[in-house]
Amino acid sequence: MAAAVTTLWDTNGTAVVKELAAQRRTGGAVLSGVALTLVVVADESRVEEAEEAAAHAAEMHPCRLLVVVRRQLDSPAPRLDAEVTIGGRLGPGEAVVMRMYGRLGLHAESVVLPLLAADAPVVAWWHAPPPERLATDALAVIADRRITDSSMGPDPVAALRTRAADYAPGDTDLAWTRSTPWRAALTSTVDSVAGRRGEAVRLLGGVVEGDPRRASARLLAGWLSARCDCAVDVVDSDRAAGPGGVDTVVLRLDRDEEVRVRADRRAGALITQPHRPDATVALPDRPLGDLLGEELRRLDPDEPYSEALAAATGVTGLAGRPAVREHEWFDPFQREDA
Amino acid sequence: MIRNPLRDPRDRRLPRVPEPCALVVFGITGDLARKKLLPAVYDLANRGLLPTNFALLGFARREWDDAAFAELARDAARKAARTPWREEVWERLAGGVHFVHGSFDDDNAFDALAERLHELEGSSGIGGNAAFYLSIPPGQFPVVLKQMQRTGMADSTPERWRRVVVEKPFGTDLPSSRELNALVDSVFTPEDVFRIDHYLGKETVQNLLALRFANTLFEPVWNGHHVDSVQITMAEDVGIGTRAAFYERTGAARDVLQNHLLQLLALTAMEEPVNFSAEEIRTEKLKVLRAISLPADLSASAVRGQYEQGWLAGQRVPGYRQEEGVAPDSRTETFAAVRFGVETRRWAGVPFYLRAGKRLPRRVTEIALVFERAPHLPFSDTDTEELGNNQLVIRVQPDEGVTLKFGSKVPGSVMEVRDVSMDFLYGEQFTESSPEAYERLLLDVLLGDATLFPRNSEVEASWAVIDPLEAFWAGSTPHPYRAGEWGPRAADEMLAAEGRRWRRP
Ligand SMILES: NC(=O)c1ccc[n+]([C@@H]2O[C@H](COP(=O)([O-])OP(=O)(O)OC[C@H]3O[C@@H](n4cnc5c(N)ncnc54)[C@H](OP(=O)(O)O)[C@@H]3O)[C@@H](O)[C@H]2O)c1
Repeated sequence: MAAAVTTLWDTNGTAVVKELAAQRRTGGAVLSGVALTLVVVADESRVEEAEEAAAHAAEMHPCRLLVVVRRQLDSPAPRLDAEVTIGGRLGPGEAVVMRMYGRLGLHAESVVLPLLAADAPVVAWWHAPPPERLATDALAVIADRRITDSSMGPDPVAALRTRAADYAPGDTDLAWTRSTPWRAALTSTVDSVAGRRGEAVRLLGGVVEGDPRRASARLLAGWLSARCDCAVDVVDSDRAAGPGGVDTVVLRLDRDEEVRVRADRRAGALITQPHRPDATVALPDRPLGDLLGEELRRLDPDEPYSEALAAATGVTGLAGRPAVREHEWFDPFQREDA
Repeated sequence: MIRNPLRDPRDRRLPRVPEPCALVVFGITGDLARKKLLPAVYDLANRGLLPTNFALLGFARREWDDAAFAELARDAARKAARTPWREEVWERLAGGVHFVHGSFDDDNAFDALAERLHELEGSSGIGGNAAFYLSIPPGQFPVVLKQMQRTGMADSTPERWRRVVVEKPFGTDLPSSRELNALVDSVFTPEDVFRIDHYLGKETVQNLLALRFANTLFEPVWNGHHVDSVQITMAEDVGIGTRAAFYERTGAARDVLQNHLLQLLALTAMEEPVNFSAEEIRTEKLKVLRAISLPADLSASAVRGQYEQGWLAGQRVPGYRQEEGVAPDSRTETFAAVRFGVETRRWAGVPFYLRAGKRLPRRVTEIALVFERAPHLPFSDTDTEELGNNQLVIRVQPDEGVTLKFGSKVPGSVMEVRDVSMDFLYGEQFTESSPEAYERLLLDVLLGDATLFPRNSEVEASWAVIDPLEAFWAGSTPHPYRAGEWGPRAADEMLAAEGRRWRRP
């Protein structure tokens, strides 16, 4: 099927809804079976990157894709431009890219709400600096799952603290997603020690060598601390750490044993463990689309993440917070608004 | 007991990864090993699903060294891998790739294999765990199994597991499958035997269980009160290719009806398992297979066919008897259609029509539940002329998904009702990136998860269904059908006699 693309200039939400419906009707065999709506909030400078990642994730998880770009909040005349496509550049499903100018950006939900796939979960992903308090963005309030990326800003460690302070069940962060291959490699290494011993392994401590200024390294250490109930720190490694900020992880086990997983800089990791020869496993750097795809697999609260975040930042009581946020009105130009 | 504090049942991101182990493939030079197994091993490695310590041993008659073998394995893996090719992943894997050459009747070769495996326990850290994949002609099974028994390679101990993977055909009839099962189960223990039916590794087949048992919508109508009949179709557009010698002895019923189609029937008709474990699912499937009945008069409910030359997809194709290696007077069937019953309270009186064939118009496998007509229609006859039975169709391949067919009003000022289809389609890409059946099944073998593998009693129960058919057909000549048609006319007549017709998939 040829992709249908329509661009609507200076339009309104109703026209966008109509256009989407029209394309669904004339588009012929549209991919059906929508599992969720993915709302992407992106900066103009990052739209392309976000679109590519979202299109990739949409191939694995049939979804309706809504991209929101807020521009020139201070522009005097609010305006909406929208591009509606089905089965094209933006993946196999239905997609709408919306550019919102002026104060419309503060009311993006008025355009987004009628475009959500009926009764399907909503996932919001900020491929832009997210608000300090997610509740100030109405798009976060309507979303069942909220994805941020603490590694984007200038100070990822501060960003993590902000996320911990603001956390509600259903929040997640791509810095956490980036740690999955490390967590998998560590877990299967400890599995193999337990397998060899034929009995349980206890973790006594460990250390993450890498870049302490990176969010993924912090979350990995936080996760290890939470799992073994002991402090695991991130220390500067002797060589520059890879993209996730982790170079080597050393775990101290009971019986005076130790395991070590070290990035080999060739998309793999070298595993050192007692009584076994060294081995390597895959430890790929995954593109943004794969990370997003992993996030969309499950939409329930991610408890291991909240525990890792709590341990990494020292903020407590995350899991007990209410899962629902209430919208807080926030106006960057305050006095102007009536 | 959780032996690893990093494991957390709530942590669904961490993949299931097998313990350190070796995979030994007999017949590594064969078609199956090159097209399916080697690519599956690479894809598993690429997805990070292989254990930290892993070795791949190939056994075959050629005189290769490890390096030459690694080269062949690389080409094969690269050709058919589903995930993107990454040289560094392969290089890492290649470090654990070994080759042992020898013939199956050569004691020395098996001693060398056992020796090599023993060495690797220490040097590769595989810890004695090994799965043996018999990707060899079925006639060779006994000699290979006996060699494994002789060298003690097949013995699981508390310190290590040893498993064996057996490919279809699992025998050619009930007695031969019993014999084979007895042999495999005595060399290995029954829990360590994994019989591959790659249909069970397909996403849509697993989704059938989700559809039935995770929803409330379908189960209330999933029985003889509402279902008029069930049709299971496996159509192939290809002929027999280069497998003439095998196919001449086998035929469609033994090749696919006995395994794939009966497994699909079992999953469609089974009761809800007590839980989603290998044991419970197999128990329910077995009950169905044992409840299958054949009509007393087979002449009216079992049809076999053989394709003649014809046109398919715009090309002339030869008839079966003209294929290379096929006898000019061959009586092997390339099409089989049968009517089974399932003697349970749920299905009593509901016919299950199964058909499988080669050189049919297109490649498609599907399960269709055809529902009863409404007992009363408040419309006039002319209003509902075009209304058929409601249908629920599970499309196994291609276009994986589900179709619901129901009546709907034709837009306009008069009341007319006709059938429309509502489709649920997994995106094309979704199925592209989802693991190939062999990849999934190989991983399950290494993990020791037997949920998707039929056990010996299922195989035997399936042969018990097929044997009477084969006995009935013995000596008869299949009905001819033209390549590119939906089978012989006799198959259509078989349904027409009961007032039904085949769905065109
Ligand atoms: N191909 C498929 O798609 C498919 C599908 C379903 C099931 N199967 C089953 O899978 C198994 C393998 O099928 P295949 O198509 O791969 O068969 P194949 O291409 O004929 O390969 C047979 C393999 O066995 C080896 N072999 C045979 N006799 C031997 C002996 N005496 N000593 C040592 N090695 C010997 C061959 O090695 P050499 O190279 O040295 O001859 C070759 O590697 C069969 O059980 C088949 O029924 C295959």
